[in-house]
Formats: sequence, structure tokens, C-alpha cells
Amino acid sequence: MRRKVDALDEAELVRRTATGDRRAFDELYRRTSPWLAVRLRRRCSDEDVVADVMQETYLAVWRSAGSFAGAATSGTAVGWLWTIAANRLVDAFRRRARQAQVSAVPLAETVAPAAEDEVMAGRVGQDLERALLALPPEMREVLRAMVLDGLTSRETAVLLNVPENTVRSRARRARIALREALS
Amino acid sequence: MTTHPSLAAIAEYAGGGRGLDEATVWSIEVHLEDCAECRARLAGSAAADTLALLDRVSAGLDREIAAGPAPARRTRRWLAPRRRWLVAALLPWVTMTVAVLLCALGLNRLLPELPSLVLLLAPVAPLPGVAAAWSRRLDPAGELIASTPAAGLTMLLRRTLVVLAVIVPALALLGTGTRTSLALMLLPCLAFTAGTIALGALIGVPRAAVGLGTLWALAVVVPTVITEDLPVVLRPGSAVLWALTAVVLVGVAMSRAGDFRRLTSHR
Amino acid sequence: MRTVSAAETAPTSHPWAVHADSLRVKAGPHLAVDGLDLALGTGVHALLGPNGAGKSTLMRALATVVEPVGGTLTLLGVAVNGRADLRRVRRGLGYLPQQFGFYPRFTVREFVEYMAWLKEMPKSAVPAAVQRAVDRVGLSARADARMKTLSGGMLRRAGIAQAIVNDPELLLLDEPTVGLDPEQRLEFRELLRDLGVDSCVLVSTHLVEDVVAACTDVVLVNDGRLVHRGTTDSLIAAGGSGEAGDSPAERGYSALLRRHRAEAGR
Repeated sequence: MRRKVDALDEAELVRRTATGDRRAFDELYRRTSPWLAVRLRRRCSDEDVVADVMQETYLAVWRSAGSFAGAATSGTAVGWLWTIAANRLVDAFRRRARQAQVSAVPLAETVAPAAEDEVMAGRVGQDLERALLALPPEMREVLRAMVLDGLTSRETAVLLNVPENTVRSRARRARIALREALS
Repeated sequence: MTTHPSLAAIAEYAGGGRGLDEATVWSIEVHLEDCAECRARLAGSAAADTLALLDRVSAGLDREIAAGPAPARRTRRWLAPRRRWLVAALLPWVTMTVAVLLCALGLNRLLPELPSLVLLLAPVAPLPGVAAAWSRRLDPAGELIASTPAAGLTMLLRRTLVVLAVIVPALALLGTGTRTSLALMLLPCLAFTAGTIALGALIGVPRAAVGLGTLWALAVVVPTVITEDLPVVLRPGSAVLWALTAVVLVGVAMSRAGDFRRLTSHR
Repeated sequence: MRTVSAAETAPTSHPWAVHADSLRVKAGPHLAVDGLDLALGTGVHALLGPNGAGKSTLMRALATVVEPVGGTLTLLGVAVNGRADLRRVRRGLGYLPQQFGFYPRFTVREFVEYMAWLKEMPKSAVPAAVQRAVDRVGLSARADARMKTLSGGMLRRAGIAQAIVNDPELLLLDEPTVGLDPEQRLEFRELLRDLGVDSCVLVSTHLVEDVVAACTDVVLVNDGRLVHRGTTDSLIAAGGSGEAGDSPAERGYSALLRRHRAEAGR
């Protein structure tokens, strides 16, 4: 008996999508698009760009789901989804850089962490949290793009509209600062 | 991932608000990549404008999917390696070689006083295939491949292996008809292949193949056909010498690996 | 979330993607590139010149397909003369030759995947990169058609897709617009401009209009030598109303060539 789509995990939904199963694709969209939209909007303030990137991402998922399912990828379906979205975001920024319209990338301001947030351990330990918050915003931007979003230094340069060498030097100094803060 | 963020934190994150500090946002984002439950909670706390965005994208998707092709069929795992190993460019040359060997066998049947022609041709049998494996002109995508990082000794060896994988069994099969030992049939073959590659490091593999083939034909095949006597180099005792030669030449070829970075039909 | 290696944060050591000094390259017995000095950085550069000027040979030398016989050539910071390690350079390279061969029974997706594999891209990244390349050149609808069923323009686009699949830092396109209809050429120009944001693109073309529209600067060669290097405006400025040509750029092109030939004849 065919399991109902809402009981399947995302990887299985991608595999079903590869066979042309529209219901599986719709379920995948329903489950992952809110997360993707929120995350993208924290990197680009232009809603049209975010809409375009999301549409291109899911279209790419629809068309090439077979290659995710077939390849022995060492990531999750959601991680794969983010890789596609990040690439499309960089492409969109390239188009914009060329048209000399750069979308502002909003930065989270340094706000003192509320009590309940300190309870949250996560992968980012408390020391690291403090060290991170001590860094200047442009270094945090670079780290977010390279470490969290998985972009290369070249792609980060396009996203932040700074030269590649600047990105690299900021990443270097950030690493040094974090190492000092943690030791 | 053990601790989930609080619902308030997720709601704040979903709203795009500035109330969270960067480190908290990071932790949430890292967590959300792995936790489907919290993603569902995020979906539940989504703001109205986010939902409007999602509807907009969904409508666009419906249009594009209806207009476009169906998803690509699942790439079969075995298909990709097959493309790399069974290079179509080698096929005509290898087929031609096998055909020539068959003709040689037939000729021997007709003219039994001649020494085994298959044995005579065995050393140079893989050479056309090896030349084709490493020629920019003979491989249709040669120009493209020449500019890729994979173009080098490994690719040449892989293709040579394919050629040998066809030629060696063919020789063994055809050789069972005659009374020659298998070693004598195959060892010169390997030696010549290694020699072509080693010489090819200097003058280009296709040229080396042509050169060695011509040399063998003039120095050994033609005199043998005329005198109808087995040549010295293919007498039963010479198998050991051939084996040694093959090993030495393989060593030489490996040491010149750096010269194979460029596919050249001419230097 | 991923770890960032130290190599990624090291400062990039090369100011120019391409640096050629008195470059000499042979095409068969003929010296096609004779003493060329060139330095190319990020952006879209056009390579113009009459037939036989040595454009294709120069492209092949830059693509590390042929070895120069003289001068120095540094690609992406690595000197490629002699017994250099070309693998590192080639991983950041994208090349579309003028006549590019393909395997007819491959589908577009398989062909681009094969080239991605040859370019030693990490295996997990290949399927997404292939889809992205195919989408960028506009072949999404024909991604699973066999290459022998494609028209000339589509084949060229498939060739462009394989050139960009590894997101190269140095992209070499030899006559990429051959066979493209005007609308496709417009789309291609958009793609070129996007690519020029963070990579060095060298486009060899006969069509002077392509140059003016998409490229930031122009490299004009004749008889294997550099005739002119400058922005497209400088090309236009070189021409006067008396020159041959239907557009300001064409007139500039003719003027520069004429002057160069006159000087060489002297």
C-alpha cells in the first residue's frame, strides 16, 4: 500500500518527485518553502529577487530531482535544496551587480541576548556566541556566507559586493579573532 | 541536535524581526537545516507577507511546470562509468584490428607453410587503438578533453586498458588455433604497448604507434613472410626477454607521466 | 554549515587571470602568435581580428591545449610553460573551441556531466551544477535530448553549458554566437555580462556588434600581434567617418587595422 505523502521524509519526497509525482513535489514545497523563504529574506531585502530565486530553485528541483536521487550525495535533501537556492541567489546578485542595483543585505544588530535565548545550546556554544557577537558586522557577514551558507569566497564577494580579496582577508581575521576568543 | 529553540524564538525568526542577536539566528538556522519538526513550527508561525510570497511562487511554479518538460529520469548509476570506459572513438580501430587478425588467421589456413601470422601481428595489434586513445584528431571531443584536468596519463592508461581488454582475449582465442604459447603471443604485445606510451612521451603517442608499427613490419614481418621462418625475436625462449622489456618500458612510461599533460597530435 | 579551509581564505595571489609576455605560439609550422603581450583581469574582453590573425591559436594556448614556443604565459597565477602542473589551472578553466566535437549519442545532460567529471568537480556537486549550467544557457527544455538531434544554435549552447559548468575563473569562448538567432544572441549577451562580474571572460568573435554590446574592453590582434587594447569607446573613437563600416565600432576596427598594416608595411 502506498504510504501517504505526509508520512514520508524529504529525501523520499525528492525521490518520488524524480518519477514525476506531482503530489510528492507539492508536499515537498509545502514543507520546505516557508523555511527557505524566511532564510532567503534574511539575506536579501528585495522581495522580487527572493520570489525569483525560490521559483528557480523549486523548478530546478522539479527538473533535476533524478540526479539528487541517483547520486550518492553525502547531504540531506534540505541541504541540497539550500545549495541550489544559494547558487541561484548568487546568480541573481550577479545580474543585479551588473545592473548596478545591489540589494541591501540586512544585518542583525547586536542586541543583548535575552534570557531564554541563552538556554539554547545548539551547535553554537556560548563562548562561540559571545566571540561571534564581538566581531564587527562585516566579518560576521562573511562568516555567515561562507560557513553557514556554504558559499565560496568568490560567490561571497558577489553577494556582498566587495572584492574577493577583501572577503578573504575578513575571513582570515575573523578566524584569528574567534580562535583568540575561544582559547 | 538535542535542544530545540523555543517557539517564541522561532516566531521571532520567522517574522524577520531584529529582536534576535546574530548568534541566536545562526543557531536557529543550523538547527532548522536538520530538524523537520521545527521547520513545521516555522511554517505555522509564518507571517502574512511570507505566506503571500509563497502563494505567488507557487502560482509561478504551476505555470512553469505545466509549460516545461517532465523531470529528468533517474540517472542510472551504471550509465556514467559506462560512458567513461566504453569510449566510442576507440571502437572502429579496435574492430579493424580484430578483423585484420581474423584475416591473418584465414591467410594462415590458406598458406600453411607460413609461420603464424597472428603471432607476427600480435605485438602491434593494440597500437591502432592506443593511437586513437590519445589523438586529438581521432576523438571527436578531443579538443575539449585536452583542456580538462583529467587529460593525462591516467586517461590514456584507462583507454589503453580498454583496448587491451578487447585485443588480449581476441589474441588468446585466435592463438589457440596455432601451436604457439600464450606468453609468446601476449608479452610482446604488452611490451609494444608500453613502448608506444614511453616513446609517446617524447614524440607523441600516435606518431610513436605509427613508428613502432612500421619498424616491426619492416624489420620482422616482411622478412619472415619472405623467408617463411620464425624470426629470432619470437622463438620460444624469448618470452622472458619480452617480459623484462615490458617491465622496463612500463617503468619508463610512468616516469614520464608529466609529459602527458597535453594531448598532442604533433609536437 | 561547513568548514572553511585555510586555503580558501589565503589571499589570491594573481592580479591578472591571464598574463602573457612576448608570447609565441605555433599552429603547425606557422607562427600564429608572434610576440603578444596581454594582461586580462575580471570582466568580459573581446578578441577581434581578421581571419588568420591568430585568435584561435591564442585561445588554444590560453586553454592549455597547445604549448607556447616562446615567451611566458601565466594563467590564474600559475606559469604554464614547460612542465607545469596544469591540473590546478584547468580546474578553473572553461573552454569552448570554434569547432567543438561531441559524442552524438550523449544527451545534453550526459555530455555536460561527462565534462564536469573530466574537470574533476566534486561528485556531489555535479548534478546541481549541470542543471544550473543547462538552465543558464536556456536549454532546460532539451536537457535530455540526444545531441545529434539538436540544431546548430542549441549545440553551441550545450558547448557553452559545458564551459561554465565548473564556474570557471577564466572562460574562453571561441565564436560562441555562431548559429544563434538574434534573440538567442541577446540572451547570450546577458549571460556574458553576468559571467563577467566575477570571472575573466575572453570572447573571440567576428561580429563587432556583439563586442560593443556585451564587452568591457577589446583586444584587437592582427598577424599574431597586438594592435589595440582598450575599452569599446576607444575602439569607436579610433574610427572616423571616412572609414569602411556600417557602425562606429566597425569603422574604428577598420581604422585600427588599416593603420597597423600601414605601419607593418613600413
